[in-house]
Amino acid sequence: MKYQFEIIVGIVVILFIGVFLYTASINPDAEFGGSDGEGSAVVSDLTGIPEDEITPLIPQWTPPSGEIESGLFALQAAFGGIILGLGFGYLLGQRKIQQ
Amino acid sequence: MEGFLPPMWAAIWWILALPFVIYGFVQLKKVIDEKREVLPLLGICGALIFILSALKLPSVTGSCSHPTGTGLSAIVFGPFITAIIGFIVLLFQALFMAHGGLSTLGANTFSMAICGPFLGYYVYRTLKDTKVNMYITVFIAVALADLFTYVITALELALAYPAEATGLMGSFVTFLGIFAVTQIPLAILEGAILALVFKYIVNIKPDILIKLKIFSEEKIMAAREV
Repeated sequence: MKYQFEIIVGIVVILFIGVFLYTASINPDAEFGGSDGEGSAVVSDLTGIPEDEITPLIPQWTPPSGEIESGLFALQAAFGGIILGLGFGYLLGQRKIQQ
Repeated sequence: MEGFLPPMWAAIWWILALPFVIYGFVQLKKVIDEKREVLPLLGICGALIFILSALKLPSVTGSCSHPTGTGLSAIVFGPFITAIIGFIVLLFQALFMAHGGLSTLGANTFSMAICGPFLGYYVYRTLKDTKVNMYITVFIAVALADLFTYVITALELALAYPAEATGLMGSFVTFLGIFAVTQIPLAILEGAILALVFKYIVNIKPDILIKLKIFSEEKIMAAREV
């Protein structure tokens, strides 16, 4: 079968979405925050220092809002996507010339 | 997690990570100078790390985490070159998104760009010449590289913050529960997707994989016919 592999990966993706929808439905309180946020909470539990008071050793710029942060993440993925397409496009072009 | 490591530990991880990153840089430069024909492949592998580490996905534990994307690069170009690429991605995230800070960059590099890829690389080396299907090998190596990254993250935090009552192991298990368990479905997803990408590379440009000796010629050619 020509697309066997694609179908398997498709099923994995659908299962992943299914598991997400299932956990979200049985657990309506789940916030789906970052796991590093939960890790931070444990650290502040262990040390007794409130989370807000833990600051970076080297001061750094933080995105002013979640919107801007998600925009920057989208930019990162888009940049990766451009390079990915360029790489595959180059290989496909090479193959075409060789044929 | 910016600022969540005490100065001593932040420094230790920096010191451990730097030699890998520097040696990776030397290797990377050598590849770029001497093997121009692998550049598109390098672009593909690097780009996957960029894309996948930007995607925060929800998981069974009700929290989100992101895949690492380092497995394929570790298989094709080895763990050192992956270390420098991963370092660049993490630096970008630290500078612009406050996702992991500059002081903890050493620790993040050590887990995501060094330990994960190294484990993935050795898993791939072990399975490479066995009867295990080529794509299954890629899947396992990539998934374990992803998962192991978060095991190391948990260890880094546990070393810095041992619990008073249960000590280092207690802390380790707690952090493992947060990071590694969340990561399991993501690792499986990442393994499947990167194995598919590897299939496309095999179909489009098998000669480059043979030249880099990623898998034996027979295996690659046999996979193409399917």
